[in-house]
Amino acid sequence: MKSIIKFLLSMMNNFKAKIGIYILLSFLLVSILAPFLVGSPTDYVGIPLQAPSMDFWFGTNGQGQDVFAQTLYGAQKTLFIAFLSGLLVVLVGAMLGGVAGYFGNRLDDIISLLINVFLLLPGLPLMVILAAWLPPGPLTIIIVLVFTGWAWHARVLRSQVMVYRNQDFVLASRVCGESNFRIIMVEILPRMLPLIASSFIGATIYGIGAQVGLEFLGLGDISQVTWGTNLYWATNDLALLTGSWWTYVPTGVSIALVSLSLTLINFGIDELANPRLISERHLSKRLDGDFDRNNATPVRKIR
Amino acid sequence: MTILSVENLSVEYVAENSSTEALRNISISVESNEILGIVGESGSGKSTLIKSIMRILSAPGLITSGEVLFNSNDILEMTDEEILEIRWKEISLVKQKALNSLNPVSKIGHQIALPYRFHMGMNKSESEKKARHLLDLVSIDQIYFDSYPHELSGGMRQRVIIAMAMALEPKLIIMDEPTTALDVITEHEIIDSIRSLQKELNFSIIFITHDLNLLLQFADRVCVLYDGEVVDYGTTDVIKSGGNHAYTKTLLDAIPRIDFSAKPDLHNKNNLDKILSLDSIHVKYQLGSWMIPEILHAVNDVSLDLYSSHITSIIGESGSGKSTIAKVITGLENSDQGKLTQYNDGHEYEVVHDIEFRKNVQMIFQDPFSALNPIHSVLHHFERPLLRFGISSEKDIKSKACELLEMVELNPAEDFLSKFPHEMSGGECQRVCIARALCSNPKLIIADEPTSMLDVSIRSDILNLFIKLKENFNLSILLITHDIASASICSDEIVVLKEGRVVESGATLDIIQNPTHDYTKNLLKSSRDDWFTKHDKER
Amino acid sequence: MNKSVIYIFRRFLFYCLAGFMAITLNFLIPRLMPGDPASIMFAQFKGKLKPEALDALKETFGFSDGPLLTQYFEYIKHLFQGDFGISISYFPQPVLEVISSGLYWTLFLAGTSLIISFVLGSIVGIYLAWNRDQKLDSFLIPTLSFLGAFPYFWIAMLLLYYFGFILDWFPLRHAYSQHVTPGFNFSFIASVFSHYILPAFTLIFVSLGGWMLSMRNNMISILGTEYINYAKAIGYNRKILMFKFAARNALLPSITGFGMALGFILSGALLTEIIFSYPGQGYLLLQAVRAQDFPLLQGIFLTITFSVLLSNLIVDIVLLLLDPRIRK
Repeated sequence: MKSIIKFLLSMMNNFKAKIGIYILLSFLLVSILAPFLVGSPTDYVGIPLQAPSMDFWFGTNGQGQDVFAQTLYGAQKTLFIAFLSGLLVVLVGAMLGGVAGYFGNRLDDIISLLINVFLLLPGLPLMVILAAWLPPGPLTIIIVLVFTGWAWHARVLRSQVMVYRNQDFVLASRVCGESNFRIIMVEILPRMLPLIASSFIGATIYGIGAQVGLEFLGLGDISQVTWGTNLYWATNDLALLTGSWWTYVPTGVSIALVSLSLTLINFGIDELANPRLISERHLSKRLDGDFDRNNATPVRKIR
Repeated sequence: MTILSVENLSVEYVAENSSTEALRNISISVESNEILGIVGESGSGKSTLIKSIMRILSAPGLITSGEVLFNSNDILEMTDEEILEIRWKEISLVKQKALNSLNPVSKIGHQIALPYRFHMGMNKSESEKKARHLLDLVSIDQIYFDSYPHELSGGMRQRVIIAMAMALEPKLIIMDEPTTALDVITEHEIIDSIRSLQKELNFSIIFITHDLNLLLQFADRVCVLYDGEVVDYGTTDVIKSGGNHAYTKTLLDAIPRIDFSAKPDLHNKNNLDKILSLDSIHVKYQLGSWMIPEILHAVNDVSLDLYSSHITSIIGESGSGKSTIAKVITGLENSDQGKLTQYNDGHEYEVVHDIEFRKNVQMIFQDPFSALNPIHSVLHHFERPLLRFGISSEKDIKSKACELLEMVELNPAEDFLSKFPHEMSGGECQRVCIARALCSNPKLIIADEPTSMLDVSIRSDILNLFIKLKENFNLSILLITHDIASASICSDEIVVLKEGRVVESGATLDIIQNPTHDYTKNLLKSSRDDWFTKHDKER
Repeated sequence: MNKSVIYIFRRFLFYCLAGFMAITLNFLIPRLMPGDPASIMFAQFKGKLKPEALDALKETFGFSDGPLLTQYFEYIKHLFQGDFGISISYFPQPVLEVISSGLYWTLFLAGTSLIISFVLGSIVGIYLAWNRDQKLDSFLIPTLSFLGAFPYFWIAMLLLYYFGFILDWFPLRHAYSQHVTPGFNFSFIASVFSHYILPAFTLIFVSLGGWMLSMRNNMISILGTEYINYAKAIGYNRKILMFKFAARNALLPSITGFGMALGFILSGALLTEIIFSYPGQGYLLLQAVRAQDFPLLQGIFLTITFSVLLSNLIVDIVLLLLDPRIRK
């Protein structure tokens, strides 16, 4: 527990991660407070396809709805589903990957084969045939996202578990009679916190993109207000051909900003875990930026 | 004539808001045709020193003072282009653990030839001819010219690196622990070929190692580093007789040496209880794919008996199978054939790796930092086995842990409980590991190379600790090592292992004074201080 | 037997397994859903097909009476005969016919975009890793990440709006103009090209950042290895270090990612096509979803999957030639 808090605090020291966290928190805050900030996103409030104005900051869409309200409300569902699916993907990935990496042999062969096959099958087509058969709604989307997204993270986590499994501290625990369950949960997984956090963020980013893609095709619940369905309606209402850019630009930019913030946080985690980059940064700062890792060792005589 | 002169060199490692001084005012020099040895323990700064001389020290290293004069030019004042000029043509480098120094996707011959093409502008065929000549110099068969690095053994790759260092006939070759990863026999052979090449081609060598004993056998002058400073510096004769600093004396005394003239101990095995025996253990690994399998016999028909109050050593080089034996005994690996039997109060039964067995048989590993989990405190490492084995209840854990720490001479015990591995030294971590192994009052402790990653000065301490534990607790200890000298200090019995087979075994003194197998004889010869002089006379 | 041949054979077996997995998924998914899969699937055919024809169609997908295993083999048999069923939205054309017309356009768009963005991205990535100008680094990385965070189809929308609608530089839909005749003539090729630019640019734009970053990261981790330090000690200059040592080694993990990236870029291509009404699989996909044309949906899934598997096999062969360590 203490190590998790220490970890989060050290992230705030990293410039990129800090910006990422701020952006993400803003979106989260806004999405939660949406009902207090804007009116209804589904009511007919004005003439359709009006450009942004003082009344409607983002204009109106093809059905006369307030695009600004839609963007804010859309954040709620989209982000919620993305984080939830991210969490589930990492859970499934850690379970399967951890078991495969730790126990090895037959079990590993089978799970690895499964992982490799799932990695190969192209994501979107697979998602489409699943979603087409399932009733539209958030549960379907979550199922589809987890089904198509678990393999990558399972592989990554498995590799790391395999590395630790053969190290002396695990062998020593086994010699001391520790049960496999405790070894995985208490000795190995806690050492993998940065990797697990990084996987969670990656899975969430995937969750946003894949979700929006599915809903854009019309496979989500089109009666809900999410970023993906906003884009679906925008294309449906011929926004492209009428030049109504405001019906889709805000949503797209929001998606990109949230994904960016998550990526920045991931970079922060990366740099925390890579000591060499940190060393180089310290030295570069000391030399006022006059540092190139490919040159000879720098000389600064102080006497 | 002095070819390299280092004066007042200081180096820092830059951290966020502070720096650590890695080297302080180092001044040494190298004459032509001389071998200068630099000796120091881990953290003394020896690698930092030579990397700074060549200016290949990576971040966060920063050179903060001094001059490095090579042929009257200060390397520290040179531009990057000028440095490229002297690299390899004038000064070359042999790194330790060369295993990974070669480009994995390029053929050996091509890599050896490249310096000729790049630095001397030779064309392809000329450079290849030179490359082949180099392979001969280090006795590597020409077949390997077109091989990739992963197809050569560790020792061969090391020789390739040495060959490459000599390619452009530089005036100075710096060798950073070039033979540490090799077994002792190969090590001596390689150093021997380096010496003869040096005499033939007239270059100087800076040879870095932690093994002062080895250095004193072939170097001309020796420099002793401690904590970033030069503490002693002189000819081999001076250093041999104790040098000018107390630390040198400590280093000399701490080196485990075989006492060839010891008197036999009246140690009768018949009064001891047998604890465990191995019968015809075989362990096979399958390499290659399922279509073209290759079988490697890691352990080949090994039989062994272990007794209480008795230290048995298994001696062998890396790859001889000794670690595998340890893993088979503790159940970390399975044998393909053979039996393990344990003895208890007159009963004997086949070994089952259950909790009862684990209470009786414990293990210590080679790398103390790797054997402890860096995210857990010392207390946690004791908590788990104490609870699991039912030795203490929750409230007694702390006091029992302190008791164990005191047994391994870690005082004050309470302070150590809350420490993390990176806050302790290698020796302290290893003692914690030993204490952990003692948790359940075991009958047998297997120690797999327990001192090879520790500094020389504390190796003897750990070995003496083993002797104390054996006497106080009637422990049986199985010591696995490649260093016959360490084994001879504390063992009652020695087993010599080569390529998975037992070639010789017996009481320690018998083995040392009257070896029968050629391999054992070679091992003992390599541990003598006069290997090189004897070898020179034979030539 | 030659080690390389064995390796390729093993990979081939693996892809066959993956292919069967896809077929099995196609088979199982309808049957795992609540309700009668056959009725749902063929609901739209009512009134369009005679009862016998409907039965024959059901048989194609294995919906016959009998144990599950028999149904499975029925389905596979039909697939291997090239019978993917009949499309609802393009009734009465067989699914395979409908797909084949569009498959080439999708592969053309996705394939060429992937290669271009890989080559460009890798070259810039190498340069980025080598010239570690801190300021450039801190600026470029978030920017590239930002650009890559936009959904493919959204960028498509933007480009279509600006370059097509506002500036009128490029056509707004289809793969080639209605006024040209297909064939190896100049006006056709020119027309194809002008229709290709915006969709391709979309795909390249979004995926470029990913390749740059991954190549840069690969290079950076290699630049920390022992053999690079050793090569520096030997005194090789920047050019040799960069290309002979670093790039060569960084290329390998990049190409391994190539196979998987194809899957991603295909997904992106499908959605992009929709925006540009580019007559590829993506466009078909949208129709199929809208019309609940299950036979077509399943057909598209299979053809895309098989294309990806085949491309991966080709990448494996290329990788084999580049990395000697695999042959072990």
